[in-house]
Order: sequence, then structure tokens, then C-alpha cells
Amino acid sequence: MEAFLPVGFLLIFAVLLCIGLFTVKRLLGPRNPLASKLSVYECGVATPEGSARAPFKTSFYLIAVLFLLFDVEAAFFFPWALVYKESLVQGPGLLIAMLVYMGLLVLGLVYIFRKDCLKLN
Amino acid sequence: MREILFVAFSLFTIGAASGVFLARNPVYSAFSLILSFFGLSGLYLLWGSTFMAMIQILIYTGAIVVLFVFVVMLLNLQVNRENPSNLLTLGISAGAVWFFSLILLRVLTRAIPNKIPEIPTDQLRTISKLLFTRYLWPFEVLSLFLLVMIIAIFAITRTQEIPHGGEQR
Amino acid sequence: MEWTDIIITAIKTAVIYLGMVQVVPIMLIVERRGAALMQDRPGPNRVGPFGLFQPVADVIKMMMKEVTIPRQVNKALYLLGPFLVLFPASLVVAALPFGDFFTVFEKNYPLQVANIDVGVLYILAIGSLGIYGILFGGWASNNKFSLMGAMRSSSQIISYEIPLGLAACSAVLWYGHFNLREMVYTQEGTLMGVLPNWGIFYQPLGFLLFFISAFAETNRLPFDLPETEAELVAGFHTEYGPMDFGTFFMAEYMNMATMSGLMVAMYFGGWHLPWISDATLLQWLGSRNLLAALQVLSVVVKISFFMLVFVWVRWTLPRFRFDQLMRLAWRNLIPLGLINLVITAVIMYFRGAA
Repeated sequence: MEAFLPVGFLLIFAVLLCIGLFTVKRLLGPRNPLASKLSVYECGVATPEGSARAPFKTSFYLIAVLFLLFDVEAAFFFPWALVYKESLVQGPGLLIAMLVYMGLLVLGLVYIFRKDCLKLN
Repeated sequence: MREILFVAFSLFTIGAASGVFLARNPVYSAFSLILSFFGLSGLYLLWGSTFMAMIQILIYTGAIVVLFVFVVMLLNLQVNRENPSNLLTLGISAGAVWFFSLILLRVLTRAIPNKIPEIPTDQLRTISKLLFTRYLWPFEVLSLFLLVMIIAIFAITRTQEIPHGGEQR
Repeated sequence: MEWTDIIITAIKTAVIYLGMVQVVPIMLIVERRGAALMQDRPGPNRVGPFGLFQPVADVIKMMMKEVTIPRQVNKALYLLGPFLVLFPASLVVAALPFGDFFTVFEKNYPLQVANIDVGVLYILAIGSLGIYGILFGGWASNNKFSLMGAMRSSSQIISYEIPLGLAACSAVLWYGHFNLREMVYTQEGTLMGVLPNWGIFYQPLGFLLFFISAFAETNRLPFDLPETEAELVAGFHTEYGPMDFGTFFMAEYMNMATMSGLMVAMYFGGWHLPWISDATLLQWLGSRNLLAALQVLSVVVKISFFMLVFVWVRWTLPRFRFDQLMRLAWRNLIPLGLINLVITAVIMYFRGAA
């Protein structure tokens, strides 16, 4: 816990930098708002076509789900990596445990590739 | 010092969590959720559990909320301008309030320790060792569980692909 | 903790943070002159000697430009967007080790903002938060190009976070520590008498994975798809003004510096000079603070090298296409990361058994 106290200082400095950048931007820049300046940018047209917030392709969503699952998996590698070195004297128990765990993960990856779920091909 | 920080983090977490359902716009709700997870990881730090604090940020803030935000943007949920006049919504809210007040009552009536319990210093290695000795089987089953989830997600999205215009977005 | 400790820690934090912010103007000129060098043109050479004051001119120009907040934006998140990127980029600096110790009033202070025992996890966790600035900023701009850029950028960042994590995990496995400082300590001395005892010789594949993923994480070419000028105007910052653009850029350079610092600490011996141990150096120099200065210099030189590589690669390789990018992450890097983890574990097992 004590080790994180200096991060508090860093937090304060970062906030100060952000506030500084914001005020500088506010104070120095001129302001002459015009209707066309404030409108949506879109190539070569004066008024934008339809709403910008149209539904997205599902593959982005798939990537996010997959990332979540693999991130959870990877999070379990970390505690394993930490104690693996010390556990070596007690035989290959941890190696086998992780190989089984990783085997199932690899099955998942193979499934993704075989079904071409991310439209990678 | 610890007590002050504890109260500060708790209030921050609760405040941000209230923002999740008070915000009209789902994207702002997601933003509040991030802040509340931050408060939570601050609490973990206070208990000396640096590993849990980091995992909290890495998994919850860095992955789960990303998924939420993606879904909100994907479905393009509109801003909810109506008040919850729906009977069902009211019923569910009343039920939730009742349930959580029960929990709150249970928590409040228990003897409140006047000091936050101290936690052993080298928790990281202790947790990791326990995970791979006593909790080895749940750990392996978890992997199977994740595999099932991967397959399930693709099965669901395959059948319910949202049709839309030819342009790839 | 006494109050002198607190003051010295605060000053140390300020100095390290300001140092990291200095990366931005330095990289502005290095990148522009570097680009010019590679494209066989002079580049900016009018402001000051050799154009050295060009960053000052750039920054003043950015500050003096008009600020427009488009009508259609969701104001709160739009204004917050750039700072949501800059904020995590500032915080990750905390875990980077710049040297061993310096001595003030006969007390030792680590040359690091905070000696965090879960350093690698801290950098990965906080570093992953930069995605929100891009996502929220892009969404709040309410522009098709912004939203598209934001979605692309975030998919790219999350996809490459996994190989990054796996590569870092292999390093953790090898050293048996999350703490970057402990990692650097184990890299002292020589390997087989010829090579410096650096992580890269134990984790070559891990380094390669980390290196590639670092480019994607920082949105640098060849992975700068969020900003592909040709197709997306400017990506997620299409609707942003010059100073906000500058803020995004600041965050990008600071992230690059952090990634370089992480690579230096994990794979390139951190503050150690090749072949020479710290004890010998201390004998030669005779003073702890002098040694600390030398160590900081060593880290800075190594980080600068990686920053130059970032620029070099930017003007050498063409940009990936989006599907190629995803394929590289999921088909190649993640399996390689897993393989690297297994290889490391097996080698460690046989080394331990022997």
C-alpha cells in the first residue's frame, strides 16, 4: 500500500497538466463560431448523410468478447508465472497443470480459426 | 490515514455506482462504472491486496467495461428520456430496493469492527500457491468453462447476425 | 515516513514526470527531422539553429489556434476525451525503474516513482485504460469517421493487448517476479562470459512479440489504422481542435516512451551497463549519486534508441490493412505467445531438474 503513495503525487501532477492544457486552450485560442464551422465534418457534403450512430458490424463485438475471455485466461497465467520458479523443486506439477489449462485455451483458439469466426481469411 | 482513505474510496465508489443508474445516457453510465471500479481497486489497495487491485483494473475496467461500451455503441441505444412509468420496471425496482435494504440491514446490525483488519504482506505468492494447490481443480474447470463460453458466443452470434446494408462498417 | 521523505519523493516524482513530458517536444523535432532524413529532404530547419526550436513554434501554433466545439457533440465526454488518453499515459510512468538508488541526507531513495511489487501488471492494467479516451472521444464526436476510427482503434488495441500480456508473462515466468526493479537486478553481469546478461538473450521470441505489440498498442505505423488519413480523414480525432490533437499526440509519445522503458527494463538490462557490474562501477566512481546519474543516463540512452526505432519503422514499413492486422494478432502473435510461454516453462523445468 505504502508503495502506491507516490502514485498519488503522480496523479496530482497529471491532473495539473490536464487542467493546464485545458486552460491554455481556452484562454489563448480565438473564438469566432460560425454555423458551418460547428457542423459535422463529412467529405465533400454540406449536410451529413444520416446519423453517425448507426449499428455496427457484429465482428467488433466478437473481438471484444474474445478479448475478454482471453484476458481472463491470461490473468491466470500471471500468478502461475510468479510461483512456477519456486515450485520446480517439487516436480512438474505446475507445468502439467498449466499445460492442461493451456490445452483447453488452444482448443478454443483452434475452434475460432476453424470456424473462421473473426472472418480472418 | 487508512480510515480517511477508506471512507473516501467507499464514498467515491458508491457515488460513481449511483451515477451508473442515474445517468440517462448508457455511455455515461459506462463511464461511471469505470470510475466506480477505480474506487473499488483503491479499496483493494487499502487492504494491501495489490494483485487484486491490478486484476480489478485489468479485467473489469480494461475488458468487461470495454465490452459494455462496445455493446452500447453497437446497438446504438437511444437516450432514455422517459421516466420509468412502466409497471414492470417499477415492480423490479421495488423488489431490488427491498432486497438491498435487507442486505444493508444485515450489514448494519452486525458488530462493526473499529479497525480494518490487517492483511499479511506477501499475499501475492500466498494467493498464487493456494490457487495451484488447494484450488487446482476449480482452476482447471474454469478453463473448460471459458472454452464453452467461446463456443457458445459464436453459436449465438452465428444465428443472430444482424442484417444491414452492404457497406461494411 | 517522515516529512522529508515525502518532500523528496514529491520532488523525485515531479522530476521524473517532467522528464517524461519532455519526450514530447524532443520527439516532435526528432520525428520531423527523421522523416526528412529518410525522405531525402531537409525538413524543418528555419526556427533556431538546425530547426531545434521547431517544437516551440509547433506548440505555440497549436495553442493560438481557434477552439471550436462542434454543435452535435456530447460535450462532457468530448472535452474529456483527450485527457482520458493522457491520464493513463501519465500514470504508467510510475512503475518504470530509472536507476538503483540515490542518496540524500544519508538516506537511500529508489530512482523510480513508486517501487510497486506488481509493476508489470500495473503498467499493463493502467496502460489498457487509454482505450477509453479514444472510444469515448470518438463516440462523443458524433461523426462517422470518428466512431469508425474509435472502433477500429479499440479493436486493435484490445487484440494486441493479449500478445503483449503473454510476452510480459513469459518474462515474469523467467524472472519469477512482477517487480521491474527485481527483474533489472537479475540482469547484472555477463552470460557465458561474452554477452551481457540481458533478458533478450533468454526471451528472444518474447521480446519480438512484445516489440510488435508495443507498436500496435501505441497506434504507431505500421499499425496506425485508427488514423488512416486516406480512408478515415483523421480517425477518432476528426472533430477535435489543434490543442486536443496535441494532447492525443502527447499521450502517444509518452506511451511510446513507457513501452520503450518497459522493454529496456525487461529485456535490455534496465540501468545496467553491458558487461560491467554495479559494484565495479561504484568502485571506479566512488560516489553513489554519480553511479545513479550514470544509470539514469544508461536508461535514457536505451529508451532513446527505441524511440529512434519507432521513427525508423514508421517511415520504412507500409500500413497494414484492417483484416491483416487482426489476422496477425489472432493467428500469429497469440499462438506464438502461448508457444513462447510453454517453451520457457519447459526449459526452466529442465534447467531446474538438472
